Formats: sequence, C-alpha cells, structure tokens
Amino acid sequence: MSRLVSGGLIDRARPLSFRFDGRALQGFQGDTLASALIAGGVRRVGRSFKYHRPRGILTAGSEEPNALVTLREGAAAEPNTRATTIELFEGLSATSQNRWPNLAFDVLAVNQIAAPLLGAGFYYKTFMWPAAFWEKVYEPLIRRSAGLGALSGQPDPDAYDRDHAFCDLLIIGAGPAGLAAALTAGRAGLRVVIADEDWRPGGRLLAERRTIDDAPGHAWAQAAAAELASLPNVTLLTRTTVFGVYDGCEYAAVERLADHLPAPAAGQPRQRLWKIIARRALLAAGAVERPLVFGGNDRPGVMTASAVSTYVNRFAAAPGSRAVVFTTADSGWDTAQDLQDAGVELAAVIDAREAPLAPAASRLRQAGVQILTGAVVSDAHGAALRAVDVRTADGAKRRIACDLLAVAGGWSPAIGLAANLGNRPVWSDAISAFLIDQAPPGMLAIAAAAGRFSLAQALGDGAREAGRIAQDLGFAATPAPVPAADDEPACVQPLWHVGAHRKKAFVDFQHDVTDSDIALASREGFTSVEHAKRYTTLGMATDQGRTSQVNGLALLAQATGKPIDKAGTILSRPPYAPVAIGLFAGPHRDEHFRPTRLTASHAWATERGAAFVDAGQWKRAQWFSRPGENDWLETVSREAAAVRAGVGICDVSTLGKIDVHGPDAAILLDRLYANPIAALAVGKVRYGLMLREDGLVMDDGTVSRLAPDRFFVTTTTVNAAKVMQHIDFARQVLWPDLDVQACSVTEQWATYAVAGPRSRDLLQAFAPDLDFSNAALPFMGLVQFRWRGSVARLFRVSFSGELAYEISVAAHHGEALVRALFEVGAPLEVTAYGTEALGVLRVEKGHPAGAELNGQTTAGDLGLAGLMSKKKDYIGRIMAQRPGLTDPDRPTLVGLRPLTPGARLRAGAHLLPVGAASVAANDQGYVTSAAYSPAVGSWIALGLLRRGPSRHGERIVLHDPVRGPDVEAEVCSPVFVDPQGGRLRG
Amino acid sequence: MADLVTLTERPGLALATIMARQGVDAAAVGAALGLAAPIRPERRAGGGLELVATGPGQWLAVADAPASPWPEVLESRLGGLASVSDQSGAYVVWRIAGPGARALCQRGVAIDLHPDAFPPGAAATTVIAHLGVVLWRLEDPNAPETFEVAVFRSYAQSFRHWFEITARSLDPQRI
Repeated sequence: MSRLVSGGLIDRARPLSFRFDGRALQGFQGDTLASALIAGGVRRVGRSFKYHRPRGILTAGSEEPNALVTLREGAAAEPNTRATTIELFEGLSATSQNRWPNLAFDVLAVNQIAAPLLGAGFYYKTFMWPAAFWEKVYEPLIRRSAGLGALSGQPDPDAYDRDHAFCDLLIIGAGPAGLAAALTAGRAGLRVVIADEDWRPGGRLLAERRTIDDAPGHAWAQAAAAELASLPNVTLLTRTTVFGVYDGCEYAAVERLADHLPAPAAGQPRQRLWKIIARRALLAAGAVERPLVFGGNDRPGVMTASAVSTYVNRFAAAPGSRAVVFTTADSGWDTAQDLQDAGVELAAVIDAREAPLAPAASRLRQAGVQILTGAVVSDAHGAALRAVDVRTADGAKRRIACDLLAVAGGWSPAIGLAANLGNRPVWSDAISAFLIDQAPPGMLAIAAAAGRFSLAQALGDGAREAGRIAQDLGFAATPAPVPAADDEPACVQPLWHVGAHRKKAFVDFQHDVTDSDIALASREGFTSVEHAKRYTTLGMATDQGRTSQVNGLALLAQATGKPIDKAGTILSRPPYAPVAIGLFAGPHRDEHFRPTRLTASHAWATERGAAFVDAGQWKRAQWFSRPGENDWLETVSREAAAVRAGVGICDVSTLGKIDVHGPDAAILLDRLYANPIAALAVGKVRYGLMLREDGLVMDDGTVSRLAPDRFFVTTTTVNAAKVMQHIDFARQVLWPDLDVQACSVTEQWATYAVAGPRSRDLLQAFAPDLDFSNAALPFMGLVQFRWRGSVARLFRVSFSGELAYEISVAAHHGEALVRALFEVGAPLEVTAYGTEALGVLRVEKGHPAGAELNGQTTAGDLGLAGLMSKKKDYIGRIMAQRPGLTDPDRPTLVGLRPLTPGARLRAGAHLLPVGAASVAANDQGYVTSAAYSPAVGSWIALGLLRRGPSRHGERIVLHDPVRGPDVEAEVCSPVFVDPQGGRLRG
Repeated sequence: MADLVTLTERPGLALATIMARQGVDAAAVGAALGLAAPIRPERRAGGGLELVATGPGQWLAVADAPASPWPEVLESRLGGLASVSDQSGAYVVWRIAGPGARALCQRGVAIDLHPDAFPPGAAATTVIAHLGVVLWRLEDPNAPETFEVAVFRSYAQSFRHWFEITARSLDPQRI
C-alpha cells in the first residue's frame, strides 16, 4: 500500500471496493481509478499499442496516453477509458487491455524483438506483396495484434439525451482562472456557463499546495463554486468536457451524468450532449505537462511531475517509495518538494539546466537532497522502473536506483479547442510552447492556456477578462479585488531529446512512436508535419497527442534542420476527447432513429392485422393477412382481386396535398404543370404532370379546382416536400409578381380510396343524400359535403382502373371515417387493401409510379408525351426538347408478360435481345416494376425498353444475374386490364 | 416527474393557415379578424381567436370554440384579404406546463427560451427532436412558464415519446 497516512481530498470515511483484472482492491470516495491503483501499489495497468510493452500511469488527467482500461463488464463495457479520469465507485470493475493471456505475461510482447521491422510505415513496406494478401491476411492480422480495447459487440444499454444552453459567457475550465472569471461575470449578472471535466472544481488548485488569500487553494475553489451555485444566472457543469468549437459561437460538450455511478438510475441517461451558444468564451483549460524523451521513458514508474504532485497532494497516494525528479522546468522542483514533504525518499533531483532558480531548489539543497544540474536521465531500467542512468554535466554516467521518476518537460497550453476552426497555433520562444494567436470568434484563451502559468496570473486573467467582457456586453461589472496568490516563476528551458540513449525513447506513448520513427520519416522524405504525422501516426491516437505533439514537432524540426516555428503545426479537430457515438444519437435509436408518421387509420389497420411498410417516415399498411393465408402473395392477390370484383378500401392519406390559392393560382399552376390547368372547370379534377427545369419528370398527381381561385393539388408520397418547395420557389422567386398563396395540407386530410365496381354502392349507403350518378358526379368530378358536421370531399378518381373514388375528411375524423366506411361496406364484403395490392392494380393499368418516376425519365419515356402542352410555357418545356431527351431510341414504357406461364418476373432485370450475350453492350433497358396479376393470371411487369412502343409482340430476355435464371417475355402494351378504360367511367 | 411538467392536449380546436394576399399587410388582416396580427414570431389572442405568426404574411389561427362553419367564417371576415386553409386536423396542440416546462422545451429547442429572449407571447417555427413544430409561450401572468406546441398530427406519437423520455430525466436542481 502506498496510501499516505494523512492529507488528500479523499473521504477516508467512505472506503470503496473495486476490482482490477479480477483483483480486489480498495480506494476511497474521491479517488480516481488511477489514484486508487497507485495507492494499491499497482504499477502496470496495460500493454502498449504496437510493441505490447508494459505501461503504467503517466499523467493524472484526460491527456493520459497509457492507462487505458476497459471499464465495466458485458454490454456496458467501455474500452479505452482513461483510468485517470474514472471516478471510483463501489463495485467498479476494470480490466487491462491489449494483453494475452494476462498483463504480466503477454505473448505479443515478442513484437519488441521484431521492433526493427515495425518502425514507422512498416505495414506499407512489409505487407506489400502479394497484393491480394492485404485484405485477407495482413490487415486482419494487424488488426488483431495491434489496436486497443475491444467493443462488447452488444447494443449499448445506456440512454443519452441532449440539452441546449445559451449564455453571455462560456468558461471552459473551472481552475483558478475559470472560477475567478465566473465569479466576476456571475456577480455582474451575465448568463454564465462554466464547464469542467473534473467532478470537483479547482483544476490545479486541487493538485498543488498553493494558497489564495492565505487559505488553501482547494478551499478557495470550494467557496467559489458554492457562490457560483447560488447565482441563478450561472450554470456550473462539472464532469463536463467541452469537446468541439463550431461556427456561430457554438460549442459542444458532454456531461457525464452517471459515469461515476455503478449504473445510471432507471430511465436516466448516462451522458448528455450539450449544444452551447455563447456570445463570448474564455478558454481556461490550463496546460498539459510534457514528458521527456529518453531511453525507456515509457516504463511503469515514469510519470509526469505534475501527475506525481496530483497523486501525492490530492489523492494522498505515493506513486513510488524512492523517487528521482528529472526536470527542465521550475515546476519540477515543486514536485520534488511535494515528495520530500510527503515523506517519499527523494534519491535525486536532476535538472538539465545549469543553474535552476526555483525557490524549492535552494530549500532542497539545504535539506541535503542530491541535486544534479546540467545533467540528464539517458535511460530507465526495469520492466517496472528499478533504476535510471544519469549523464552528469561532466559526461560521467551514474546509475541511481529508484522506483519513481517524475519528469517535467515544460508545459503546453491546452489550446486544442481554439484550433478547431482552422486557426493554426504559433510558436512562442518565450514559453517554449505553442499559443493560439487568433482564437475563433468570441473566444479568448487566458491564464495557463495562454502561456501565463503563475497562479497570480490565472486569477488576474480570469477576473480582468471577464470584467472586460461584461463591459463589452453592456453589464456593469463591480470591480472586486483579485485574490492574493503566488506569482511563482515558471521558467523552462526545453530539452527535446536527451541525445545518446540505449533503449527505445517514446514520443507518442499511445501509438508507440519513437524518436527514431520521426528521424526515419524525415529521412524518407516525410518532412511536412502533416505527412510525418500520418506516416508515423504520431498524435493520431485517442489522446490526440496531447502529451506528444510538441515533442514530436520539435524532433521533426531537429531532423529537418528547421527552427521549430518553421516546422509547422497541425490542427486539432473535434472531439477534443473521445466521445461515445451513442451521445450523438441521443434518444434517436432503434425504432426511434427517426420520427415516425402514422396515418389516422393506423390503430384501425393494426387491429385488422396489417403489416406496415416504411414510405419515407410514414408507416403504411402493406397488406392485411387473414387467417389461413400462407404468404403475402396470397394475401395481396386476394386483395387485388377483391377490388376488381367488388370493392376495396385503401388509405392513401400519405399522398402530398397542397392548397394553392389566390387570384393568380391558375396562372402559376399552368406554369408548373406540363399539361394545361388554367382551363380546368370548377368542380373538376385533372391528372397533372410536373417536369423539372431540366425537362425530366419530377412528379405527378391530381389537380382539383374548388373555386376559381382555389386549387387543391396532390403529389406522390415521397415527393410531397419536394413539390411544396418547388411551388414555393416558383411563387416566391420565379414569379413574385403573381398573387398566389400555397401551403401544405398533407396533414389536414385523411383520404381513403374506395375502388371497385361496388364502390358506388358502398358510398351511396354511406352518404344516402348524395347523387352518385355519372351525370352528377362523373369521372374526374368532385363534390364537397358535410359528414358529422365537418367538411368531407369526394373525388371521383381512379388509380386502379376501376370505378373508384377518394374520400377525405379532416385527419382527426379519419379513424371514424374508415370505421364508418367498413361498417356500411360490410354487406358488400368490402376488403381492406394495402400498398402492395395498390401496386398490383396500378401495374395492371400501366400507371407510372415511383419506380418509373425515378428522376431519369421524360414524359415521352412514360408514354405521356401527349400531355405536354404546345400552347403554353411551363417549367421544363425547353429543356425537354433537347435531342437526348427526344431521341426515339430512348428506353420507353412497355408491358412484359412471360412466355412460360408461371415464370416469375423481377424488377431490376435487364432486357436483352433473344440469343444475345448478356453483356452491357446488348442491354436495351430494364424492368421497373413487376407484380403477380390475379387478373391476368400470371406475373406481369413494366419496363423501359429501347423503342419500346414499336416493339409490342417481340420477344425479349429478362436477365437477372443476381436473383435467378433468364426469363423470356413478350413485349406488350403496359395496360393489361381494361385497355379501353370503360370500367372507370362505369 | 409529472410534478415538474405536464403535457395536455387542447381538445376540440379549430385551426387554419392564413396567408395574406399580395400587398395586404398584417394590420389589414388583423383589423378584419378583430385582433392585432403579429408581424414578428409572436402569438396574439383576442376575440376568441389566436394568431401565431409563422412567416411573413402568414399565421396559424387557433380557436377554442370556433364560430361555425370553420374556416369559412374566417374567409368571410377576411373578404379576400388572405387565403385560408383549414388545418383543424393537421395539428395536435399541446400545453406544456409546470415548473420544468421551460427546461423541458429547452432540451428540444435550439433557440433560447430564457424569458429575456423568448418572453410571454413569443413564438417560433422550429424543430424538436427532428419534428417540425410551432412553439409559443403563453402570456398568462398566472402561468409564466407555460408553453404550447403545435405538432403535425402524424408525428404526435413520436413527439410524445420524446416528451416522456425527456421529462423523466429532468433535474429538479436545474430548474
């Protein structure tokens, strides 16, 4: 056990049991998994990505590259979770990754022996031949041996939701700068959102032993957070990571609502996606400490100095019993002091600088600690750290036994978010790090995120910049004294590389990229930073290279002989930290993936045993099976035959419906439809064909004239929104001079097709007072009446070719209507039919539908050239005259019937001349729709065949290489039933 | 969390889309209908009629106890100043009330519902959970946190599903 006897921000009264790789351990409330493992003496927590080297814990934050574990078990297991950010809870279970059979003995650790073959880009070179092996052998092999944790393979059991926040000021990071800013802005009355990834606000104040106004920093942070919580205009989001910046001052964040609990409460989401719109934002995300690059620097027991301080100060957990500190920055000396004060044996402090000035240096020297200046650690030894080799200023080599090496390579401001919109960071020689020069609109980096590292600067920056923003936005900020704190020095002299070393020196720990990989990339010509990144994969792991990026760039600069500010930088993209895919889906998963539209008859259809089919977002009744029917084909054939013989009812409410009103409505519609509309009489309906501007068919439907200035048009189900847009575009943009109004009334009307020779009888029984005679209500006539007090419309139109009507009422009466129709239709044995039978009936009549109105066909292709008016102008008229669209060779609508009775025709089959080879050069068209026709007694089809109308009677081969053997068919008229059309006028 | 927020359908409503004819302004439409027709995304009520502005020269008219016959009564009052389309069946209008009403709506709506930005009487034609909606805040001083939302009838079940799962996770601390 390496738990310190006292201190730390843990609750020793609340012990927690947990398991790591099955081993029972204990921690306390307030621990992370990482701190609890350290306190439990666990040093090895995983194996590395490529070489399967044992790895320990490097950091204490979300930048952790090594300590990736799989949290939880079964479906809830979450791979690649950073042990440093997991809040310990009772019963937590985590397992190490990337090792087999276990962490101590890992078979693939032999990769280390093969390391000379596994350098940068090894797979491009090693697995080039034979080419066919890549997909089948090499890639699966690489994927199995490399990679990190594995997904559970089960559906995510957790729920996710989303929220929106609007604020004057978003503060990213609740460290001293963020808290100071939030206090200033909150007191001034701004709407403030302050987000921090930790569960406890305070940032570095929790990890260091500094004082503010003579109180411990963490106590100041707690008081600040309490005040913020009391301000109604401030939202303090803990456990929340802002992970992306987008245009329009929009920020995305994830709030981890239940990750610190054994499981989310029933019905509660695990995480919440926040979309935050902020007039201004302060990036107070602090800085990330850089490791140092020397041999064996990835050994468990090598840890960043700030992490060592965090574990000692915040978690009262000593990461070792005999420590060496290796630093190039003043902050490393604070860690040395922390270790000394915590009673950890301090074997040596090694500063690469000649004369460090940190105040702690003189104190430790006086305390008798071995201090080596101008010296470096060249190599670390031991599968878990046992000793380090030190090269002293005079070049002598010394080995020092230790089990903990704290490394302090200086600090990189956490500016990743500020670079999300393409703003390239710039190098600062003053702080030896990259800074954001031009942040996204509204955003400003402050304090450590702006390279101003002292605590006094943090508090001052926060208060000052928040005050400025308050003033800018017109709030009266009351100036308050900035709390007093250290202005401690933060000098750093970068040491990008220790020079000669014997063991592998890692730059990117998570992707196993070494100093020699970068040198190799440079030698092979990958000198552009973006190329070197992709060739070596440096910075491309889940940590986005937060600990490795700057070291890698510096080494690339050295290798290419450029100064670092000329070597270039790479951008960072959202997400700043890994985000579960489920978060983006939110509640929109499974059957709720997208909204569902239900027609008014849905409950009725469900009662009748309907099977439903998706038509866009609509659920439409596809067929209504009856007991004893063996398959859908039997059901559909029964429904189609019933319509032809008696009467059937089908819900056609999903068709798009649009009111077009106004004095110029007729003029507009005349320009929208290819056929004449203006002359349509009041009380009449007409088929309408709409072309796109390019002359191809857009959609078809009906146009009804209810009054001289009131039209009602229908569209196909799938094109409803497109046609509405088209009409709005025409009236608002093309012809704003026309006085015409249009709005969608799709949702207003529930509409049922009543079709078949007995349809008139049914409706007469339904509406005994109406005159259904041909004289009163002829084909393509309409009548309005009142049904149970509200408006009903009856259109005599037919899609089936039978005597047929469509009846509409307001949708909230739709269910009552369909039930009433079936009640009066019972003596006529009225049959419910679905979209499948509807399709059979229209194929039998050769009516084009979705498969034919496919965006590639002209009116002529569909046999509708006669509809195209020659007496008026309309959208698509000119372009429809292009030679390619009037070519007589174009595939044109035909009917097809098999020569062998019973042979099945399938949509999608290609049409080939009899005896011709089945090659594309012989392709003469294809089958668009096929159906079994009970009226014909065989399968029939519609197709588009080159010069089709002149080829009726010819034989043709339907070639379907995917689903079946060739079928021979006869080309015929597309109208299989009642070609004279007598029935619909009956 | 029924104590935080409730969803109640307003039954028996009559609805219509009113679109002004060319050159007719909102004042004329309002005068014909007996209330001030809003020219911003707002809702106004008067004379047994509510008008929610849903676009330039376009309103959703809502009436609890409509004069009959609807919508002809609107047409005759407007006398050719505007086109009228009956939408009585097209929408379900829900009232969302309770201390958590705003927090709940904000979960779904990507526009600011803070009373400073979306005061009583404000309206928006927007999207909740991929569903097109018209949303407004009531002006009733006794119910300042009360919203109404008009959702296309075919989407009613999807909307209710969103409401129920969202209401379940409302946090009383953040209301």
